[in-house]
Amino acid sequence: MKSYLKLVNFEVNRFFKMYLILIGITILSQIIGSFAVSKRYMNEANRMIYENLMPKSQFIEQFGGLSFSKIVFSGWFMLPIVLCSATLMIYVFFIWYRDWFGKNTFIYRLLMLPVERINIYFAKLTAIMFFVLGFIALQILLIPIEMHILKSIVPADFRTDLPFHEIFNLSLMVWLYPNTIIEFILIYGIGLIFVSVVFTAILLERSYRLKGVFLASVYGILSFIVFFAPASLDIFFARGYFYPIEIFVMELVTGVIVLVSAIWIANHLLKYKIKV
Amino acid sequence: MIEVKNVKKKYGRKQVLKGVSFTAEKGEITCLIGINGVGKTTIMKAIMALTPIDSGEILIDGEKIRKESFEKITFIPDAITMLPQMKIVDAFTFMADFYKSWNPERAKELLQFFKLDASERISDLSKGNTAKVNLLLGLALDVDYLLMDEPFSGIDIFTREQIADVFTSHLIEDRGVVITTHEINDIEHLIDRAVLIDNGEVLKEFSVEEVRENEGKSVVDVMREVYQG
Repeated sequence: MKSYLKLVNFEVNRFFKMYLILIGITILSQIIGSFAVSKRYMNEANRMIYENLMPKSQFIEQFGGLSFSKIVFSGWFMLPIVLCSATLMIYVFFIWYRDWFGKNTFIYRLLMLPVERINIYFAKLTAIMFFVLGFIALQILLIPIEMHILKSIVPADFRTDLPFHEIFNLSLMVWLYPNTIIEFILIYGIGLIFVSVVFTAILLERSYRLKGVFLASVYGILSFIVFFAPASLDIFFARGYFYPIEIFVMELVTGVIVLVSAIWIANHLLKYKIKV
Repeated sequence: MIEVKNVKKKYGRKQVLKGVSFTAEKGEITCLIGINGVGKTTIMKAIMALTPIDSGEILIDGEKIRKESFEKITFIPDAITMLPQMKIVDAFTFMADFYKSWNPERAKELLQFFKLDASERISDLSKGNTAKVNLLLGLALDVDYLLMDEPFSGIDIFTREQIADVFTSHLIEDRGVVITTHEINDIEHLIDRAVLIDNGEVLKEFSVEEVRENEGKSVVDVMREVYQG
């Protein structure tokens, strides 16, 4: 356990500078975006009301009140999220390949540590999940600040206020920031399984090289089929036959099967098949 | 004792190791000799479970390698195994964090021996100094066996001499060392046993001292006999 935690700490530290840069970009972009979208709206309101002499009520009727969703759907808000997601997606691969292909072959050191090799896998997996959840926590902290900026610039008459929890019901946000614990387990559970399967596929490629690319592809497709079997069964073959709770339980079971097999295969590869 | 028994290994269609067997004792320096590409590094990696073997057996003090073995045996490959952005001192902290066998006193002693500055970043080191740090990280572990892959390759004469001095110092005493090289001249006077490898096979395994005393031959003489008929 101690060595696992040390490895997690080490993996987190290796990406931390980049992570801080991404956090900085997100904060900067979203805060500037909150100012920019609110200011632009108020400038437009002032121009219409004071220059074009449009009554305030008519402006609100015609243009609508400014809601937080306008900020959420602006590039200022979404682009850093896309950037962070894309970077983490790339890092899921890079976190392994950097150890093989870096200037110094650090994988020798990692595999020669007096720890169970599967701890390397768990540490990398934990680091990725830590980064993902860290971004979500940051976003949850940023939203009230951004709402406050909007409120300080746009008077109440011009706003369509959304309650805090409603923000997370906005279509694009709902899968990023689940509302219930079940949704959280589902969405981030799927994320965890996905990353585990990718990690195991990478290890297959690293163990069997060219043949491994084929094996990794087959393994990835098989995992996908097994994981989505209950949902596909419901959608394509037996629509409405199962209760949603039954589908959920079956998904949970297949999810556990895919996750456990990913870990088991990874453990076997790291112990007996890995090549440096 | 490290026992390599009838180890076979294929890379694709190429049979790299064709039933390699030899032993390396504690307190002795065993040298695997052969030109590039004969499978010396593959043997080292196989001993450390860094590449799987197709058949055969490798034992360290009678046991197959497991996580605890890495406190007993270490491998110093020909490239440094630490991250380039690390300072030497960070590499020491990393080693101390994970290895019970890390000996900080010996690490300090080696720093002085090699005249290295612990605050230097690994990426800023010259090739020779990188090789020294690489060696240092292995030597500062209180392990019974050291595997070294081409420690003299691509470095200047002074660094070679400095590294060669390590082999005659107390830093090696009582340990079992397995070293690979294709430049035997650098270490001929240091080694106890030689294992001549060619084309994935052990052609001859012998005690250097016995051959010298009984037959009056050097390692290079034996190599000529074996490789050139």
